[in-house]
Amino acid sequence: MSLLPWFVAAWLFAVGLYGIVTSRHCVHLIGCLTVCQSATYVLLLGLGFVRGAGPPVFYDHPPGMPAVDPVVQALVLTDIVVGAAVSALLLAIAIQVQRRRCTLDPQALRPLRPSKRTAE
Amino acid sequence: MTPRSRLVLLALAALILVPAIVRIALVLPGFGAPTALYGQTVNALLPDLRHVTNMVAAVNFDVRGIDTLGEEFMLLCAVTGATVLLRGARGERGNLRAGHISGRPVLARADATTLVCRIAASVTMLFGISVALHGMTTPGGGFQGGVIAASGLLLLYLGEGYAVWRALMRGPILALLEGGGALLFVLCAAGPLVAGRPALENVLPLGDLKDLYSGGLMVGVNAAVALAVAGGFGLLLLEFMEETRVPADDPAPEEAEP
Amino acid sequence: MSPDAILPVAVLLPLGVAALLLGLAHWLPTQLPKLVAIVTALAVCGLCILLIRQSLDGPVIHWFGGWTPDASHRPDVVLGIGFQADPASAALAAFCAFLFGAAFVFAWGYFDAEHAHFHVLMLLFLAAMVGFCLTRDLFNLFVWFELMSVAAFALTAYPLGRSALEGAFHFTVTHALASFLMLAGTGLLYAGTSTLDFAAMGLIVARLGSDPVLTGGFVLVASALLTKAAILPFHLWLADAHAVAPSPVSVIFSGAMVSLGLFGLAKLVAQVFPADPHVMGLVHGLLLWLGLGTALVGGLMAYAQRHLKRMLAFSTVAHLGIMLSALAAGTGTGTAGFLLYAIGHGLVKGALFMLTGILLAQRRSADEIVLYRQGPGLWAPGLAMIAGGLLLGGLPLGLMHGATHLMHDSAALPVTLVVTVATALTGAAVLRAASRIFLGWSGAPGPELLAPTEREHEKPDRPIWLMALPPLVLLTITLTPFEAVAPVLGAAAARLSQPDAMPLPLPPMRRECPVALLLTGLLFLFAHLRRRPLTSSARALVRVERWSFGALQALHSGLIGDYVTWMIVGLAVFAAARIG
Repeated sequence: MSLLPWFVAAWLFAVGLYGIVTSRHCVHLIGCLTVCQSATYVLLLGLGFVRGAGPPVFYDHPPGMPAVDPVVQALVLTDIVVGAAVSALLLAIAIQVQRRRCTLDPQALRPLRPSKRTAE
Repeated sequence: MTPRSRLVLLALAALILVPAIVRIALVLPGFGAPTALYGQTVNALLPDLRHVTNMVAAVNFDVRGIDTLGEEFMLLCAVTGATVLLRGARGERGNLRAGHISGRPVLARADATTLVCRIAASVTMLFGISVALHGMTTPGGGFQGGVIAASGLLLLYLGEGYAVWRALMRGPILALLEGGGALLFVLCAAGPLVAGRPALENVLPLGDLKDLYSGGLMVGVNAAVALAVAGGFGLLLLEFMEETRVPADDPAPEEAEP
Repeated sequence: MSPDAILPVAVLLPLGVAALLLGLAHWLPTQLPKLVAIVTALAVCGLCILLIRQSLDGPVIHWFGGWTPDASHRPDVVLGIGFQADPASAALAAFCAFLFGAAFVFAWGYFDAEHAHFHVLMLLFLAAMVGFCLTRDLFNLFVWFELMSVAAFALTAYPLGRSALEGAFHFTVTHALASFLMLAGTGLLYAGTSTLDFAAMGLIVARLGSDPVLTGGFVLVASALLTKAAILPFHLWLADAHAVAPSPVSVIFSGAMVSLGLFGLAKLVAQVFPADPHVMGLVHGLLLWLGLGTALVGGLMAYAQRHLKRMLAFSTVAHLGIMLSALAAGTGTGTAGFLLYAIGHGLVKGALFMLTGILLAQRRSADEIVLYRQGPGLWAPGLAMIAGGLLLGGLPLGLMHGATHLMHDSAALPVTLVVTVATALTGAAVLRAASRIFLGWSGAPGPELLAPTEREHEKPDRPIWLMALPPLVLLTITLTPFEAVAPVLGAAAARLSQPDAMPLPLPPMRRECPVALLLTGLLFLFAHLRRRPLTSSARALVRVERWSFGALQALHSGLIGDYVTWMIVGLAVFAAARIG
């Protein structure tokens, strides 16, 4: 089916969103954010695919052979670095939050509001 | 809002968004049909213009090199931020005593582990350097090679234990590596400017197709990215590993001086 | 060096200096990074001012790597990434760099123990902002957007206090989702137009007319930019993040970063989509409503806050809504008003955040009720805060008044009404706080009594004159008369869409009744003369007021799940507007 990659991307994003919205642990939330990011990978790489074409590396086959789009692959490489950077930062923040609040429940983390003693 | 009411809102939003997504999916060219002329042009022109065979590296380091510069600095920024966040509360002096979860046994490290990890770490780091060097000809490049080399450092920790690892990994040296790589990239971009050419233009001799040295200035940019990524991920590993140590202000049992 | 070499140098200079500072951080003396940072920021400001002057003659374009549009030998394909300076971009970049210089001077004694990391992060932030203003490539815009965001995340969490970390967490998750949306939108636009350069995309969009892929791409990219610009319903992160970040960083956030989100949207709409009827319909319709809604919600929330930084953050939200409504009007005068308002508001808001920082350092609190009558002794900050409140509330002097005049000139009456009310609410809130703190005048506390607040302080022993000088300078610049900037402004507004257009003639200032200032005064008097409710009808009124403000505060709940849900609801609103 030639529409499948677009629906897979949308579904992945929806699943990640469901995880974020119902999450009860910050590290789980960061993982769901990664799932949302995978949706963009699928979309971008799907946009670049050409049926019957080889990779855009002309070492074994000569230049001029049909190859897939290298520009979206370069965009995805940048996207992966972005994802790694943001995940590292979020995990560092999570470590510090755990130190100070002894909880990593997103339902209990509300900036500038006094923390409730009882669980929500 | 409770999670249930959030899900209700999300479901209502999905009712509106799903038809829009279907409509867009129907109009997009089918999966497998070539979409953009940009990529096809790159595939057609770049092997002759820059004597490289890896088109993705050509796009990353030459055609859209300034994007890679920004992304490199984004990694540097994130590593600096994580360093500040983790070091800020802990202070810089680490303790050599490992954190201990009560109830778990502490096992000594087997000799076989040390041997296998030494071999594996050496092979991994060499492989990472090889992937980085061959970035212009085969799939790979600075990012991939840098990350592989940095993961070799983790194997070193597994094999040697924290004390030896920490003696080998110096924070300032890694920061120098990272900053030096980023600075090298900026110099590659600014160098052609001094000569009156556009920034990041490929002013070095281009070399031959399928050769180890090909692509001209791309080799310098590739090396810069590899250095910066290896240094950055090494710093990240160092900072996160320090978190497993007991905090320095816990009284050590040996401290009995007056 | 060719004249267009200034463009890459303006971005490469702060990047290179940051890399150098980071690499040598362990060995540098403590005062050196601060000096280097101030000099770099002022150097970038000077370069951008040179760019403004050059761009008045024609656009200055620089193609990276020598990949000019004709390098591809095909008519439609632009292979390389270009930087283009028109007067508007160069002016905003210069303004950002200047604000950074002021923030560096303000933050002189703020961070001592760190090895220059604060300055590294701020310089990277500056480089990203300049790159964002100058680029003409969509994915390059995304890269600078991401660098800005990552630097902002790290800087928000810097104080390592409980609220700072939680605020930074919400900020990061919200913006990470926004960046995924922007990537998806970029992918769709790339598939639809085969290129990523603004001018080339504009030509192809003109040929294709309207297309669901193009509209979908626009909606996704616009949602990301609107998240950065804190427009309803994507605005929930801003109050949490700006209230907990260190004061020098909040200056940059409210003064420059959020306005750049709207500037990116303005560039996209002016250069890529002017020929697409569906997208322009969304811009003139839905974006106008969202701007007005944001202005009202921001104004009401600002009026109901007691923590100064949170109040200023919501006031920023309100003013961003006003700017979006001017942008969505679509006329050249409206765009000129938006540009001038962005700069004027940035200067005033930056000064106000610095004054809050002074209060935090000298009086150890940022809560207006706790600080009641704590002001005497700080007369210069007090005068400056009152001046700032009056400027926000519509004082007929200076840049903000000129911008408001341009906006009202091209707007319909209902829009003007909403904008005036929002302006008055924010101005009255600041005046109420200033009079409580510095003059000791206060009525009974109203809805602000139940607002979220926290005890905090900032490093106390910094030289006060060093802290007070930057806000005074910023406020003085805001008082520049409109006639002085009108010629450059006309050129800037016209050349945003067409690089060779003639400068737009702007309508001259008229003497008219300062309605906004009168309304500000009225609201301020109402707050000042408020007494405890004694009669039953007064008590019923107070109950209704408490309930409605309470509901509004509850929507800004501080939970990340809620924020993400409202973002998706915002996307659905866009989709519904497109269908309808």
